Order: sequence, then C-alpha cells, then structure tokens
Amino acid sequence: MITRIILSLLYICCVSPIARADSLSIKIENAWVQAVPPVADTTAAYMKITNLGPGPLRLVGASSSVATRVEPMITTRQERNGQEILGMEAVPDLEIAPGATLELKPGRDHLMIMGLTSHPVEGERVKLTVRFAPGDQRLELEVPVLREEPK
Amino acid sequence: MNKSVSELEKDPIPGSTPPAGTRRMLLAAFAIVLALLVSFLFARYSAYRTVQAKFYGQPLVPAKEAFDFRLVDQNGKAFQLSQLRGKVVLFAFGFTHCPNVCPTTLSDLAKVYRALPARDRARVQVLFVSVDPRRDKPETMKNYVPYFDDSFIGLTGTEDQIAQAAKPYGAYYEIVHNAGESPDGYSVNHSAFTYLISPDVKWKLLYNFDQLGDATKVVRDIEQVLNGA
Repeated sequence: MITRIILSLLYICCVSPIARADSLSIKIENAWVQAVPPVADTTAAYMKITNLGPGPLRLVGASSSVATRVEPMITTRQERNGQEILGMEAVPDLEIAPGATLELKPGRDHLMIMGLTSHPVEGERVKLTVRFAPGDQRLELEVPVLREEPK
Repeated sequence: MNKSVSELEKDPIPGSTPPAGTRRMLLAAFAIVLALLVSFLFARYSAYRTVQAKFYGQPLVPAKEAFDFRLVDQNGKAFQLSQLRGKVVLFAFGFTHCPNVCPTTLSDLAKVYRALPARDRARVQVLFVSVDPRRDKPETMKNYVPYFDDSFIGLTGTEDQIAQAAKPYGAYYEIVHNAGESPDGYSVNHSAFTYLISPDVKWKLLYNFDQLGDATKVVRDIEQVLNGA
C-alpha cells in the first residue's frame, strides 16, 4: 500500500504532465481578454501559442475564475450576396504542429469565454488556465483585459 | 446574334438562306452592338475605378439610395435612418452575445470615431443593429453599445423590422445551435460588414471586417464624404 502511494506520488511529481506544466515546450505570448460591457455574458481570449515540443500539440480548452466555460472556437467565413458572413463553430481542439504558432485573434480562432460569473473590467487581469493534449498539460496565465488588440 | 446567323445558314429549307448583302448587314449590326456594349462597360468600369481609387472602402458605383429602415432605438423609441440626414452614418449588424466579431467591430468603430477631428465627430453617427431581437431588447442594447463609445446608438426591433432593414444592404444572418447548449445559448452567424451612409442618405461605401481595423484610412474616407466627395 505504502509503495503504491509512493509510486503514485512519484508519478504525480515526475511523470504527470500537470506537474511538468510543460512551460518548456509551450510558449504563450501576447495573451489578452476582450473587454466587454457588463451586460455581456461572453467574451474571448486571444494569444499566440508556439509549440516548441517534438510532437503535435492540441489546445483543448481552458478554465477561468470569471466564467463557467472556456472553449476553443474557429471563425467560419462564407460568402453570400457578395458579402462575407462570419460565424463561429465550436471545435474539440486546435492543433499546433511542432515548431508552429497558433495565433488566436479577433475574427479568427479564439478561446470563447462563456457564462461570465464576474465581469472582467478593463485594465484588470483575469486568471486563465489553458489546457493542452496529449496528457493534461496546463499553463496558468494572468491575462490583461483590454479594449482592443495590443499593437 | 452570331448564333442566329449560323442557324440561318443551317436552315434546311432550300432557297431560304439570306442573300450575301443581308448577311453583311447583320454582321455590321452585330459589330455596332458589340462596340456599344464594350464602350458602355468600359465607361462603367473606369467610373468605378476612379471612385475606387479615391476611397479605401469598397464603393457602390453609383451610390445607392440608402434604405430608410425603421427600428427601435436603445431608449425604446422609434428610429428611422433618415433622421440622421446631414450626418455620415456608419452601421453594422451583430448581436450582444457575440464574443469575438462584434466587440472587435465596435472597438474598431470607436477607434475610428475617436481618431476623427473633434469638429467632425458631431457630424458622424455610429449605429449597431441587432440581428437577435429575441435576446436583444432596447435595454440590452443600451447596456451594450454605448460602452464602446457614449455617442454610439444600439438599434433593435421586431424580427420583421430587422429582416427588412438587413435585406436591402445584402446583410445575412442565421441562428446556429451548437450541441449541448441551453435554449438561449445559441449563436448567430452574420455579415460582418460596416456600411457608410453619406449626409444625403446614400449608401456610398462598404468595409469588410478586416478593413475596418485600419482607423486612419477609414477616417480619411469619412472626411472625404463629409467634404462632399
């Protein structure tokens, strides 16, 4: 029994990707959350994620202290009447090839923050835990709330 | 025309083939029509190119009479586009539960508005029209739209009013249900264009979602339209 506990502790500390928190193989830059009016119950998080690891990486979702759900979304673009229709589609994950960078930005792929439980105020920082597969790799971020894309 | 000439030639009834003179006349008429058509198209095209060279936004050549939509403003009052005669109006369709496209469009528009010289701001009005009347009541619009700029006005209406307002501008929207969502958790796909209406209530320019990000260029267009271009 004790051996098992020690083994599982060893697993958690050394093998489990949570403990590794793979910050060495994942680089996140320019993360920000779109400031929205207090009445809004959704917003989005944007960032640049680079996969520095040897294998493909998948962004599977995130969680935040200010919302009930945070999910990856893609923006769909189709043409009708000569005008572009923008839509949004939930996806199970967003893949990042080794060495590639996934850019989450307005009008493109994003992390949709749904069911805001407290209103993120412009200038504040919100906690965001971004989750990746394979394994259960998590990165804890503190993300600024901004009115527009930082240049 | 070409086709009818060759059909005549293939006419099976003997003796019905037109004499050479008639055929030459047909050919000449055809050449004239073709020349007229080409020059007409070229004139239209060069007119379009002249206007296009002047503006950053996509011009409507000639500018169309702007459809005078009737909606409800964020204070619950009846609203008509022609109320804003004398001003440059910029408007976009969207919905307040929109996480990505609409807040971006509205912050872009706020950036444009603030980049305008103070004296011109009084002559420019930004509107945001909901395509989701089920969830977007006047009060919702009031709590949403002016957040981006105090001067912005949110509009909503009945489903019919909104459909009537969207159609003449070629705007399209549809409700999309995602798996596992609550009945009120739906999303709306919609055209993400911004329409520019001149002070004489003509629809002059169109900006797509990406174009709107360049505030300096949009401001230059607005200044030109305010100066009668």
